[in-house]
Amino acid sequence: MTGGSKGIGRAISLALAEKGADVIVNYSANDDAAKGVVLEIEAMGRKAAAIKADVSDTAQVEDMFGRIRKDPGRLDILVNNAGIIRDKLLMFMNEEDWNRVIDINLKGVYNCCKTAIRFMIGEKYGKIVNMVSPSAILGRAGQTNYASSKGGVISFTRSLAQEIARFNVCVNAVSPGLIETEMMDNLTEETKKELLSAVPIGRLGTPEEVTGAVLFLASDRSDYITGQVISVDGGLT
Amino acid sequence: MEDRNELISRLKTLIIESLQLEDIEPSDIGEDEPLFGNGLGLDSIDALELVVALEKEFGIIIPDEEVGKEAFASLNALTDFVQREKKDLS
Repeated sequence: MTGGSKGIGRAISLALAEKGADVIVNYSANDDAAKGVVLEIEAMGRKAAAIKADVSDTAQVEDMFGRIRKDPGRLDILVNNAGIIRDKLLMFMNEEDWNRVIDINLKGVYNCCKTAIRFMIGEKYGKIVNMVSPSAILGRAGQTNYASSKGGVISFTRSLAQEIARFNVCVNAVSPGLIETEMMDNLTEETKKELLSAVPIGRLGTPEEVTGAVLFLASDRSDYITGQVISVDGGLT
Repeated sequence: MEDRNELISRLKTLIIESLQLEDIEPSDIGEDEPLFGNGLGLDSIDALELVVALEKEFGIIIPDEEVGKEAFASLNALTDFVQREKKDLS
């Protein structure tokens, strides 16, 4: 579970554990938050470990998977959730804003999948779920970098799905729309109303509605589904 | 050091088992024939499975397509490759 220490990533980590998974919680910065998630998972009776790694750094990702190879020695599910936003109108978006978002959001998926599939092809079983965004499908002013990165992840998902389907490894994506998170709580009521006006269902989604889609794609019930994007966005796209 | 014939035999078993070639016998795999393309009817994506199997069985990593092409040129080429890599590892 990359980016598993907070927000939707934390919710997914806990949901996977509730369903019986042992979880490696990857994070990039907040040691305490990651340890907190590990403790919550252990309290459920599952095993968990936190591994700090910047997913855009190939060496750190290889090191992380090297540790997973030693213990627990297997990998059944990979959820690529690590991602950042650096919204700016293009004219004012510097190279650092562009590169960092592409590196973490897209290259991070490349780095993690490239190593994870060695486990999964060997086991002839695997589930990869990549978290994307409605911005990739609709576009959004101020998010040329973010939308591009997530659009890239969608294309990557579809291509990798075709490459490794024969090994019983499914690769899919989940696109959460406007979800009740801390980020949403910080918006003004006016901004929330404006955003919600584009959502046919007319409300924010819950983290459980997102985790539901991820759990489905991580389970045996989706064994005939690969290369797909499930949008959990109340009809936004 | 493993005898070359023993290694060839082991590799034939590895190829058949990892690629699940149910209708192929070890004697069907020619030592100088390409492993991929003609012959066994395997493609480049099937090669991924053999890459992973080699890593699991021998601890040998095939890092890129160029090394893979050379190693998988034939069973003899693969045997040479494994012997070389095993020597480097020990």
